[in-house]
This record gives sequence, C-alpha cells and structure tokens, in this order.
Amino acid sequence: MDARHHRRGVAARLVLAALLAAFGAGATAAEDPSAPDFALASTAGSNYRLSEYRGEVVALVFWASWCGDCRRELERFERLRRTYGSVGLVVLGVNLDQEPGRAVALAGAAGIGYPVLIDAGKDVSRSYRADDLPLIVLIDRNGAIRARHTALDERDEQGLLVNLRDLIDE
Amino acid sequence: MKTTFITFLAAMAASMPAFAEEAAAASAPEDRSVLDAEVQSLRREVVDLNRDLFMLEEDLLFPASTQVAVFVSMDVGTFFAVDSVQLKVDDKEVANYLYTEREQEALKRGGVQRLWLGNLKAGEHEVTAFFVGQGPHERDYKRGTTLQVEKGVGAKYVELRISDKASKLQPEFVVKVWE
Repeated sequence: MDARHHRRGVAARLVLAALLAAFGAGATAAEDPSAPDFALASTAGSNYRLSEYRGEVVALVFWASWCGDCRRELERFERLRRTYGSVGLVVLGVNLDQEPGRAVALAGAAGIGYPVLIDAGKDVSRSYRADDLPLIVLIDRNGAIRARHTALDERDEQGLLVNLRDLIDE
Repeated sequence: MKTTFITFLAAMAASMPAFAEEAAAASAPEDRSVLDAEVQSLRREVVDLNRDLFMLEEDLLFPASTQVAVFVSMDVGTFFAVDSVQLKVDDKEVANYLYTEREQEALKRGGVQRLWLGNLKAGEHEVTAFFVGQGPHERDYKRGTTLQVEKGVGAKYVELRISDKASKLQPEFVVKVWE
C-alpha cells in the first residue's frame, strides 16, 4: 500500500516536473544564454574543451588570417590576458582558416600566448553565429554568454573593458 | 486625571514596538534555522526528483531491449596517450570524441567514460573503434579494432580498453562485451 502511494507520489511529481520543464523550455527557447560546449584541437596539438573552464571568465576570439581587423584583436587580447589572466580571464582564439599553417604563422607574428584552436570544419563558429570577423564572445563563470563584440573602435573598447571587469568581479 | 490616562496610554503604545522587536529578535534565529532546514529538504527533494527524471528519460529513450552502451577505459597508458576515438556502428559514425589533458589524466587514473549510448535492434552488428594518439617514442599512432556484437533481448555494454602490452612495449586495444 505504502509502496503504491510512494509510486503515485513519484509519478505525480514527475508529471509536475515535466510540465514545469516544458513551460520553462518554452520561456527560454527564444534565447538560450548558455555557451555551446565544444572540443577543438589547438595549433600546439593539445585539445581544449570549453566546459573545462567553468568558474573562469572566458573570452573567445573568432578570427581568420584573411581578416584585416583580426590581428589587432589578437594583440589586444594578448594584452588583456597578461593583465587579467591571474584573476580568472581565459582567452581562447578560434581560427577559421582551412589551412592551420597560416594561422600558426600569424599567431606567432602577433606574439600571442593563448591557445589557438582550429575550427576548420566551422561547426563551432556556426554554433556561435560568427558571421562577421573578428567576433569576441564573453562568457561568464557560469558558462553563459554575456556579451558579443565585433571589430572594436575606441568607444567599443571601453565597453568591452567594462563588461570584462564586471564579469571578473562577479 | 484624563491627562495622566492619556500619558499612560501613549507610554504603553510607545513601548509596544520595543516589545515586538525583542520578541522578533528572539525568534529570528529559530525562524532562520527552520527555513534553512526547509530549504535543505527542498533541495534534497529536487535532487531526488532530478535522479528519477533522469532514470525515466533513459528508460524511455533507451529501453533495455535495444540499449547498447560503449565505454572507454585505460589500464596504465604508458605506451599510448589517447587524442581521439572515433566510433562506428554498422559503418556509420556515431561518436567522435576529442580528449583533453584532464580527460586523459582521468582515464589513466581509472575513470571510465561512456562514449556512446544508443539503440540497436536485435541481431548482429559491427562495432568499429579508431584510436588516434601518441604511441611509443611520441610517434603518431592510429589503430582500429572491430567487433561483431550479437544484440539480444537485454541491454549490451561494450568496453573499449586501452592497455599496455609490456612484453612488446606497445599499447593494446581490447574490446570486451559485458552482458
């Protein structure tokens, strides 16, 4: 008898939870803020998975060797990494070139010390809607996308720094 | 007389909030602890509910009659550092997994990874796994292994084990079927 009551209770809770989940999904389906997880190989040979950086602020820099403004952003994020790396900023470059050789050469010339991940298949850039390059995506410590920036002028740079500092302080 | 009475009433009224505050202050820690206990109990219920939902979802999506799960494990791993595993079932790619350094380390420490969970109808199936990584002397290494799996009525568990063959100083890839 008790077992039957317990099962009924569990079933009722399951139905309730399913209904709540369905309503919740409907409410959030329009704009899911969670950053899509991915695993990519880097130019150095190691593999990187985004979800391993939960608890850190992550800046994804989407770029390609044929994009004129990208080099400036690569260098800017190297400076930011040196400044904020010790307080939890992780920078991951995501390169969209078909040939990794050009990306390696350009990253070396720009003197960047963060990993450059190869997205030759474009799956990751598609999931982040990286239609314009460079694209910078800021992800908070809970794995949610909090800001997207394209090529930055002076005013945008201030906005980026404000966003970045806010995320680090959270 | 009337003035004295009014003064008395005013004094009483003034002292009432003070009494109320004292009473509230005394009961506040108790209320908080009761609230904490309720929150903890609710949290436990949510965790239990989540587990029930997860099991129900797995039962619905992958019933035992068709369920096949493929696991990856590593024994020692001195002669091979796994970079990726590609899994094909009946010549169709069902999983392609890249391993980070942390995941490699977890496998070396005895962790078992569920690489794929899917449904296959009863009968014979071909499971092929390609292991890519660094072999002895840090050379690039790619090896494939194939297994014919007879899917019966119950769930099928396949283990892909990477182990060291000390006599040949080479890695060994073993496929084991658990009933």
